[in-house]
Amino acid sequence: MTALLEVTDLNKHFGGLHAVQNVSFTLKAGSITGMLGPNGAGKTTVFNLLTGFVPFETGTILFEGAPLAGLAPHRIVNRGVARTFQLARPFAGMTVLENVEVACLAPRARHLGPPRSRAQAILDLVGLGGKSAATVDVLPYGDLRRLEIARALATSPKLLLLDEPFAGLGTSEIEPLANLITELHRSEGLAIFIIEHKLREFMQLVHEVIALDFGEVVAIGPPAEIVRHPRVVEAYIGRDDFGDAAATGAGLGTA
Amino acid sequence: MTAFKLDWLGTLVAVAALAATPWLFGSSYVTGIMIVALCFGIWAASWDFMSGLTGRENFGHSLFIGAGAYTAGFLNVNFGVNPWWSLLAAPLVAVLFSLVIGFPTLRLRGPYFALAMLSGAAVMQNLTIIFSQYTGGQDGLNGLDPIIDSPLAYYYLTLAFLIATAIILRLVANSPWGTILRAIRGDEGSCQAAGINVTFYKIASLMVSAAFAGLGGALYAHYQLQVGPDLFAIVLSINIIIMVYVGGIGTIYGPVGGALLLNLLTESLRGFSEYRLWVYTLVLMLILFFLPQGLIAPLWQRIRRMAS
Repeated sequence: MTALLEVTDLNKHFGGLHAVQNVSFTLKAGSITGMLGPNGAGKTTVFNLLTGFVPFETGTILFEGAPLAGLAPHRIVNRGVARTFQLARPFAGMTVLENVEVACLAPRARHLGPPRSRAQAILDLVGLGGKSAATVDVLPYGDLRRLEIARALATSPKLLLLDEPFAGLGTSEIEPLANLITELHRSEGLAIFIIEHKLREFMQLVHEVIALDFGEVVAIGPPAEIVRHPRVVEAYIGRDDFGDAAATGAGLGTA
Repeated sequence: MTAFKLDWLGTLVAVAALAATPWLFGSSYVTGIMIVALCFGIWAASWDFMSGLTGRENFGHSLFIGAGAYTAGFLNVNFGVNPWWSLLAAPLVAVLFSLVIGFPTLRLRGPYFALAMLSGAAVMQNLTIIFSQYTGGQDGLNGLDPIIDSPLAYYYLTLAFLIATAIILRLVANSPWGTILRAIRGDEGSCQAAGINVTFYKIASLMVSAAFAGLGGALYAHYQLQVGPDLFAIVLSINIIIMVYVGGIGTIYGPVGGALLLNLLTESLRGFSEYRLWVYTLVLMLILFFLPQGLIAPLWQRIRRMAS
């Protein structure tokens, strides 16, 4: 597997806060990677830097070998990096189908087929096919999450960034969504990068975890190792010695 | 009957009614009022195309109207250019103005665009007074040539332009372009995340909006045979916005109906003489209070539901 995304020494300040500090990591093509960290660790900021929604100060981001620095968000999408938002942000007043159709009209996706039928096919894929005529205003939260993913998929990405896709979902909704993500990875060959601060949900999902704390990468490795990593345990439990905190690592952050 | 066929049938009925109006009343007075109302229809539809669809309120549509009207005035009065050329030159100049305002302000979020349109119109109104040696100051430019001499023929010319404007803008609003504009209204950030160049679409739709507003300005100027600073007035912009809301924002045909309705309403309230504005305002408040979605578009949608 080759490097799809290479991030080197990324930095971002918000006023006096060093929100992202010398962050470096690599995502391989076709991989599922997680980004773990407590609230405020800088996970969403990293996403915003990768997708051009917030400019970074120093460092480099290479996607398929080409730098993304200074590109507007829509240009980055058209290179093949799509994202979802932590809080679902649908186009209010429009139908579910139209919401996805907009993304089918992106320059990258326009030639892939008639927007309307492509949008319908993608809605079928994420399990919203039966609700395409409904306006988004009446959609329950779990469906809005799927709609976010459908809209991102419609741009035909090579790398899909999911910002806490499980946040706010009930236990009954989490498993089908996790299955959908695995299925997308398998069938579409998509590389997926997921933010989550609840470990349990994506333990089984991801191949590799990048752990972030106070804007710094504190550990990178397979999920089973990461949950026992002292810096990760420290970030979640605190500096005091909780003895066997590492042993119960799988339950971290489920509160 | 399909909704699509019904829409064209409705268009046909509306056009037939408008075409018959001069014959039904047979008075040049009514025809004159209707020509002005048709111009307002063009202005309201063009406002709706940009601001109604994208939700970026334009508080200075009169900037484009005035720019178009003065272009017609300058070319015709100062340079003796054939008035038909105004119909081409006025939209072009209005588009130029839309670029001057839109290019710097539509890349930003926040109220900058709305405020720049508002002040742009106000500045132009004052400039016409300051540079009175060229613009005629408060008196404006007088003695424009009519495009067509007969008021009845002029009515049909204006009607033809209104129909063309409304149909073109409505078709574009129903096309993928319109879908993108409505998505911009929903959430600009999500639009960018969907790979859409939001700034490009906002500026392009403002250019289209300005072109039709400028065209309406030129038609108005060659009917009044006079242009004055009031064509840049804020009250003109506000009146157009009210017409859009009364008609039904974001539908193109609604604002056209709203413009015709309110123009006829002002005229029919002449009997109230000095209380006319009171009554007019009261009627407006009642409409907007009880029908916040507007009058024309929701009415048509109800007819459509009943028929299908």
